[in-house]
Amino acid sequence: MKLLDIQDLTKNFGGLTAVNSLSMSLETGQILGLIGPNGAGKSTVFNCIAGVCPPTSGKIAFKGKEITGQKPWDICRKRIARTFQLVKPFASKTVLYNVMVGTFSQTKSTAEAEEKALKVLERLHLDQKKDALAGSLTIADRKRLELARALATEPELLLLDEVMAGLRPTEVEEMIVIIKGIRKNGVTIFVIEHIIRAIMALSDWIVVIHFGEKIAEGTPAQVSQDERVIKAYLGEEYVTARNQGD
Amino acid sequence: MQAGLKDKTIRYSLPLLALVAAFLFPLFVSSPTYVQIMILLYFYAYLTTSWNLVGGFAGVLPLGHSAFVGIGAYTSTVLYLHYGLTPWLGMFVGGALAALVGVMIGKPTFKMRGAYFALSSIAFAEGLRVMVENINKLGPFTINGPRGLLIPLVGDSFIKYQFLRKEPYYYIILIMLILVLALTYMVSRRRMGYYLAAGGEEPEAAESLGVNVARYKLMAMAISCFLTALAGTFYAQLTLYFYPKGILGLDLSFELAFIALIGGRGTIAGPILGAFLLRPLNEFTRIYLGGYLPGLHLVIFGLILILVMIYQPRGLQEPLSRLYDKVIRKLTTRSHAMGVEKA
Amino acid sequence: MDVILQATVNGLLMGSIYGLTALGLTLIFGIMKVINFAHGSILMVGMFAAYWLVELTGIHPYLALFIVVPFLFFFGYYLQAIVIQPVFKAERHVREPITVIIVTTGIWYVLDNLAMMLFGAKYRVVTTAITGHTFTIGDLIISVPKLYGLIATLASAVLLYWFLKYTRMGRAMRATSLDRDAASLMGINQYKVYNIAFGLGTAVAGVAGCALIPFYYVFPTVGVVFDIRAFVIVVLGGLGSIMGALLGGMIIGVIESVFSQFMASTWTEGIIYVIFLFILFVKPSGLFGMKQDW
Repeated sequence: MKLLDIQDLTKNFGGLTAVNSLSMSLETGQILGLIGPNGAGKSTVFNCIAGVCPPTSGKIAFKGKEITGQKPWDICRKRIARTFQLVKPFASKTVLYNVMVGTFSQTKSTAEAEEKALKVLERLHLDQKKDALAGSLTIADRKRLELARALATEPELLLLDEVMAGLRPTEVEEMIVIIKGIRKNGVTIFVIEHIIRAIMALSDWIVVIHFGEKIAEGTPAQVSQDERVIKAYLGEEYVTARNQGD
Repeated sequence: MQAGLKDKTIRYSLPLLALVAAFLFPLFVSSPTYVQIMILLYFYAYLTTSWNLVGGFAGVLPLGHSAFVGIGAYTSTVLYLHYGLTPWLGMFVGGALAALVGVMIGKPTFKMRGAYFALSSIAFAEGLRVMVENINKLGPFTINGPRGLLIPLVGDSFIKYQFLRKEPYYYIILIMLILVLALTYMVSRRRMGYYLAAGGEEPEAAESLGVNVARYKLMAMAISCFLTALAGTFYAQLTLYFYPKGILGLDLSFELAFIALIGGRGTIAGPILGAFLLRPLNEFTRIYLGGYLPGLHLVIFGLILILVMIYQPRGLQEPLSRLYDKVIRKLTTRSHAMGVEKA
Repeated sequence: MDVILQATVNGLLMGSIYGLTALGLTLIFGIMKVINFAHGSILMVGMFAAYWLVELTGIHPYLALFIVVPFLFFFGYYLQAIVIQPVFKAERHVREPITVIIVTTGIWYVLDNLAMMLFGAKYRVVTTAITGHTFTIGDLIISVPKLYGLIATLASAVLLYWFLKYTRMGRAMRATSLDRDAASLMGINQYKVYNIAFGLGTAVAGVAGCALIPFYYVFPTVGVVFDIRAFVIVVLGGLGSIMGALLGGMIIGVIESVFSQFMASTWTEGIIYVIFLFILFVKPSGLFGMKQDW
């Protein structure tokens, strides 16, 4: 069964159609990449899934049950977690506190929440910084904290919104390893990314959208050769030049 | 481990000592004036701590909380005057009513920006005051408009929540204060506290982590309003008289908010610290300077608020608690050294 | 019917002055995204300034404008620069600049009590060259001071609009209001813009102050009355909208005036609060407001 099934998703903001009749799905255990030029509507797709903005039309089903338009906290309880493109740490609180807010979704006891949070921090190598204020962390650590918080809610599906943005190449490599590790632990991952190296390395399957519509999908190798994708990213002339070169 | 224990015992011994001193106070001090001063001090500390549940933990700025003090006072008093219902029960009715009203106001306004919530709270409190000032009778109940309500003196009667001496009132408000502090402490350590803090700081992130931010804010509001109303009843029974401008007024609302803000909202120590520092300050400036320049103490109060917000937006509890930590460390190292020497 | 017509006319005139107060408030919000809780108190300062000027020199209140308005401009400018700015800067990236609200509330508190301390609670009234003058159109009595108020309001609104649209500083202000970071990258000193915006807002309050003293009582807490009205209007008309402030002002003025024909004025006070809460609950973005991310 498909873990996540999106059918004819459309989202309008006033006169602007951000997402237009998008249909796609994720299999359990997959890492699926969503790419597209800036403004293609990728974050909007995430926001629709995560319940931040209800779609104008279309259906989203998780594990066979419809979740379209539900509230973010209910979506979280259903085991879908997300990170934000612009990280939102609870800056005045410690790293541990931040993650505990996540683990409290799994338990009512403060002691247990703390225990679970420490485990998550260990997995992501942030445990040394557990008492640091989230606002004082570097961008790389903040991204990890964002990830840790989301993982703390023990999701089955994780939506990662440009989690590599702003990271240096070595940090990107570290993050790729971490994400692969998360998948090994049984979490299905839906990734939005701009850093091509990362998306090629991580994804089992890629969906490309442009102006809110799906223009291609396939394995990383297939997509990188797809003319429509090249045209969208690099423009018409490049495709023509390339074809002439052949 | 020895060092850790020592640190904890010294750290908690001061508040514990203060607690014991508070309980023993009336046994050593018999002047009713001083007892009254302490009663009002605890009263304000109680109110600001209750305010803090919404204004501090939930991250919004209620500037009309006196409305709930008034609801408490009026409800229990009206029920007593009309039905003879003991204020001990009337107080809970007032509390429930206040909680209900608080939730009704909170539901549409929590979604909005902080400024709008603050405005709504002012509008509601002032609107309520104006309404009450205009009503003489509400159905069978006498409200008495701007003149307020007077509770006939009956002497010592527990059931009627009246005492001739100040001491019973002292212990009642002291116990209420301790309970409210314990409640705040518990909330801050448990899930609700974490969720409120998260929701107040980054509501979108909190929601994605499973927090129904609006619901928790409303819970905090309901609890805060309930507790605030209980204090309203206490005040009514203490002074046996109250009127709209005083108990429903913007002055009281602002004073509560300002004290909590200066002390440090969102912390447990902040509101009490604020109350214990500022109430005496207000009273003294009023008594000593009020003769020459009436209202100067209020101007000073406002200036303190502005200065604190510019230089210590987290409140005075931040530098003061750091100082306290320093003192504790000095004491532990000293006792440590002494312990080593003994060995 | 005549009574209602008269009340409506009175309401429109008075409402225009409410609108004037709201104008200053909405300007400050529109550009700085800050709701200035102290606006009523600043109006009170303007009223007292105008009062004393007229009382001591007998000058025509609308000539006093030339002194009061610049005075209030600088008062606001420096208030913002010295008191509000540090807090504003500190909360630049915070989602909800609550401390700024607290500081403006503190300023409200200090100004009102300072005035109480210096001038006492006495309700003062000053007789000016135009006080009490009226003229009639048919059966309607038009109060001259209030009419002047209407003219002052319209003039201020037009001037403000012209300033924002056609002057360099005005464009800078509009740019900053749309995107402060982009504007500052363009070389606009956003903090200077804020100081001027605040100053303009308070200057407009100064105009209102001068317009009010010919017929309104002056006392330390007079600001609260106008503050509340201004907030209601600004919410009704939409934050940041000049047109909204004017129209909203007239609507509130008319409602107040007409209702007070049928009930005690103290009840009308209550009605205003009810309207306010109603609007907040039903349509917080108001009639003309920009869509905010509430």
